[in-house]
Amino acid sequence: MVSRPAFIALGRLLMLIAVAAVAGLVFGGLLFWLVGLLAAALAWQLYNLFRLERWLSLREGKLPRGVFGVWGQVYAGIYRLRSKHRERKKRLSRVIKEFRRSTAALPDASVVLNADHEIIWLNRAATELFGIRKADRGLRVDNIIRDPVFVDYLRSVDQDAPVEIRSPSKPGARLSLRLVPYGGEGQQMLLGRDITDRIRLEKVRRDFVANASHELRSPLTVINGYLDSLTSDPELPGAWRQPVCDMSHQAGRMQAIVEDLLTLSRLEAGAKKPARDRVDVGGLLAMIRKDALSLPERPGTIELRLDSEADLTGAENELYSAFSNLVSNAVKYTPATGRVEIGWSVDERGGHITVADTGKGIPADAIPRLTERFYRADKGRDRVSGGTGLGLAIAKHVLERHGATLEIESELGQGSRFTCHFPPERLAPGDNVVNLQQA
Amino acid sequence: MRKEELGHHYSRQFDEELETVRTSVLEMGGIVGEQLRLAIRALVKGDSELGEKVVYDDHKVNSMEVAIDEECSRIIARRQPTAGDLRMIMAMIKSITDLERIGDEAEKIGFLASRLAAEKRPENRYREIKHLGKMVREMLNLALDALARLDPEAAMATAERDRQVDEEYEAIMRQAITLMMEDPRSIRRVLDTLWVARALERIGDHAVNICEYVVYMVHGKDIRHLSYEEGAA
Repeated sequence: MVSRPAFIALGRLLMLIAVAAVAGLVFGGLLFWLVGLLAAALAWQLYNLFRLERWLSLREGKLPRGVFGVWGQVYAGIYRLRSKHRERKKRLSRVIKEFRRSTAALPDASVVLNADHEIIWLNRAATELFGIRKADRGLRVDNIIRDPVFVDYLRSVDQDAPVEIRSPSKPGARLSLRLVPYGGEGQQMLLGRDITDRIRLEKVRRDFVANASHELRSPLTVINGYLDSLTSDPELPGAWRQPVCDMSHQAGRMQAIVEDLLTLSRLEAGAKKPARDRVDVGGLLAMIRKDALSLPERPGTIELRLDSEADLTGAENELYSAFSNLVSNAVKYTPATGRVEIGWSVDERGGHITVADTGKGIPADAIPRLTERFYRADKGRDRVSGGTGLGLAIAKHVLERHGATLEIESELGQGSRFTCHFPPERLAPGDNVVNLQQA
Repeated sequence: MRKEELGHHYSRQFDEELETVRTSVLEMGGIVGEQLRLAIRALVKGDSELGEKVVYDDHKVNSMEVAIDEECSRIIARRQPTAGDLRMIMAMIKSITDLERIGDEAEKIGFLASRLAAEKRPENRYREIKHLGKMVREMLNLALDALARLDPEAAMATAERDRQVDEEYEAIMRQAITLMMEDPRSIRRVLDTLWVARALERIGDHAVNICEYVVYMVHGKDIRHLSYEEGAA
C-alpha cells in the first residue's frame, strides 16, 4: 500500500514537470527547464534527507522547526514513534529497576547464572554471604564458591534438595544453598539463606533434651528403687497396694521414656558414622522374635521368614533397637487372633526388612506424622498400653544413619506393613560358608 | 575490528579449554581447603577418625593434580599458546604443584591429629594452633580468590599476610620450647604439635607462591624473591 505523503510527493513532482513544460513552451529550451527544475527538486530532497539523518543520530531530538510538507509529516511520524518507544522503554526499565531493587533488598542471597554457571546478576546479600562482588560478573560461580559440596551440587542432575555449606566470606556462618531454574536458556538462580541461627537453635534444643533427660534419670532411679521395695513389702497396708503398684508401673514408664530420649539424642548428636560391623540379620531378627514371643499379650502367630542369608553392615545395637521397636509396635496393635510376620529379603535394589501385621491399621493422614516424637495416632489407647511414643522416631533415626528409608503402608482394619529399605552397599554376603570352614 | 573481539581468540574452544583448566584448579583448591579445615578440626576436637579420613582422602587431591597437569600439557602441545595464555598455563601448572603440597601438609596434620588424639589434650585445646590454622586458611582462600578474579592487588595484599603467619609460628615455637623445658614428659606431644605448626607455616608459604603466580600471570612480572628484599630494605 502506498502511503499518503508519497502520493503528495508524486503529485508535486508531476506538478513540477508540468511547470517545467509550460515554462519551456513559453520561454523555449524545454530540456533546460526540465533538467534545471528536477535538479533543484532533487537537491531539496537530498538536503532534507541529510537533515533527517542528522536529526536521527541525535539521541533526544526535538521536532525541528520549519519543515513543511511531506518531510514535515515524515518527521512527525518518526517523532511520534520515537517518543512512544522511549515511553515504553522507560516503563520497562522502571519495572526492571523495581524488581531488582526488591530482590536486592531480600535478606537471602540470590545470584543469576547462565548455562555455563557464569554470574550474570547478584544482589547485595550475595556479597555478604557468598563474597561475590559486582565486578565478578562473568566469572564462573564455582570459581568463587569452591566448597566441594557446592561444586558437586552444581554439577549434579538432581538439584531439588538444598545443600548446606560454610559461608566463604562471613566467618562462622552456615548457608543453605539451592539452585532453581530461572527463565529460559538454561539460566539458573542460586539462592542462599543464612541458617546459622537455625543450626544453633537446633543444637540448643538437642542439648537441652539430652541434659534434661540425663538430670531426670538419677531422681527417677531413686523413686523406682523405693517403689520396688514397697511393692514387694508384705507389710504394706492393703489399701495402698494398688496405688503403689500403679506408681511403680508409671515410674517404670517414665524411666523408659527418659532412656529413649537419651538414645534419640545420642543418635542425633552422633556426628560419627555408625560402626560398620557385620550384623547377622537372621540372628538379630530371631532374637527379636523370641523377645516378642515372651510378651504376655501377643498375637497368636509371630512368624519369621528369611529369604536371604545376606548380612548388613552397621551398628548392631542401633539396628536392634530400630527393628525391635517396629516389632513391638506391631505386636502391641495386633489382637490375640491376628498374626505378625517379620521378613528379610534381598533384591537388586538392596535389602528389605518387613514387619507386617493384621492389626487395626493406621489412618492415612497419620502415616506421615508417625515418626514424630510423642505423636500418637490413637490418643486414647496408647497411654494405657505403655509405649514411650519414641519408638518410631528412634527407628527412623537409626535407619537414616544407615542410609536406609522407612516405608509405611497401612489399611484401616486390615493391618500395617513397615518396610526398611537398605541400599545395596550396606549388604554383605552371608558368612555361613566361612563359619563352616573355620569349624 | 570491534573492541570486544580483541580479548577473545578466534577459536572459542581454546577459550573454553583455558577456562576449564582454571575452574579445575580452583575446584582442587576448594578440596584442599576443605581437607585443611577437616585436618585442623580433627586435631582440635581430638577426632582420630576424622584425621584418618583426611589422610585417606588425599588421593583425591593427587589424582586431580595429575589430571590437570595432563590437560595443561595437552593444551600446550595442541594450541601452542603464547603471551598471556602461556603465562596462564604456566601459572596453573605451578599452582597445582603448590596445592598438591598443601594437600600433603593437610594429610600430615590429619595423621598427627589421629596420633595426638590418643594423648592427653593440652589445657588450652590447641588454641594457638587453631588461630594459626585460621590465619592460614584465610590466606589460602584469599589467594584462590585472587586467582579466580585475576586480581594482582589482592594477591599482593594476601602475600603480605605471610609475615603474621611467620610471627605466629615463631611464638608457638617459643612456647613449645618453654613447655618442653617445664615438663620433659610432654616432649613427644609438643613435638608433634610443633610439626603441625610447621605444616601450617609451610601452607602459608605455598599460598604466597600462588599469589605470586597471579601477579606473574596478569602483569607478566616475576616478583618471586623480591618482596622479602623490599620488605627488608
